[in-house]
Amino acid sequence: MDESELIKGIQQGDRKAFRLLVETYQRMVVNTCFGIVHSMADAEDLAQDVFLEIFRTAGNFRGDSKISTWLYRIATNRSLNFVRNKKRKGFFQSLEETFTGGKNRNSEISENRSDQPDHNITDSQRKDLLHRAIDQLPEKQRIAFTLNKYEDLPYQQIAEIMEISLASVESLIHRAKKNLQEQLLDCYKKKCV
Amino acid sequence: MKHESIHKDLIFYLDNELPEEKRTAIENHLEGCADCRSFLVFIKEEMQIIEKEKNPEASPYFFARLYARLDERPEFMPQGLWIRLAQPAFFSMLLIAGIYGGLRLGSNASSGIINQEPASTIQLMNDFEAEPIESFLLDEL
Repeated sequence: MDESELIKGIQQGDRKAFRLLVETYQRMVVNTCFGIVHSMADAEDLAQDVFLEIFRTAGNFRGDSKISTWLYRIATNRSLNFVRNKKRKGFFQSLEETFTGGKNRNSEISENRSDQPDHNITDSQRKDLLHRAIDQLPEKQRIAFTLNKYEDLPYQQIAEIMEISLASVESLIHRAKKNLQEQLLDCYKKKCV
Repeated sequence: MKHESIHKDLIFYLDNELPEEKRTAIENHLEGCADCRSFLVFIKEEMQIIEKEKNPEASPYFFARLYARLDERPEFMPQGLWIRLAQPAFFSMLLIAGIYGGLRLGSNASSGIINQEPASTIQLMNDFEAEPIESFLLDEL
């Protein structure tokens, strides 16, 4: 079954075609979401949202681009929205903690971290540091970097997904790496892990 | 080469994105600089995390959960959309009403202050003049 048949099947509500689509692209969608949200449970929930959106809006698919491009776009948009909402909730939660006299969780974590010597850096601490560094990147840099590093996509495909020029993708990834390195260097100097 | 310029290029060095000349210069520097080597190891280990964590195993219940959600009635969507639009509209109206009410209240209060005579202040000052503390103490004696 080629892509157009698959989409036609989904447009007609064929669940077999939908299952085939999910089986083909599940790993790709979950991995893309995971690269942005850094949580497997959240990534799976978001991937399900992506497939549900595909099932419900398959009629809008014009076939100008590949299914994978369409899926990547929805997955990155949904993941970014999720992160934005989470940040907003976190902001209000920290406000609440300030007023209720609760301790800020993040500062608690960093306090614990600074107490530990260099050789005790665990994988989870390293992961946490990398995720925080990626989260600090501007959104476009984050998408380009995630698609390139987590999905191993070539710059040309990233340009198609993000609907920007190849030169812009090169620039975004270059700046993303520079920013990441700066943050990692800062952390390395301060021995924050 | 300075340590700072080496640090700036190490991520590109790891990804083989540097011209040959710069690459050789970095390698020469790394041979004699323990701190830069240590940072290279640090950054390498951080970037390897991506390799380790990408392509995670999806839950075996992924399909079951997806199909369960697929069978949910999608009629809730327009209602959700309505709420999403109505909520900011309601709060905007509430905000405008609050600002308007505040302005009205403020203008009423200021006009009241202008018309009001500062009688109480004068009264206080006159109190002091009418009954000086010296005469009060003399009365006590």
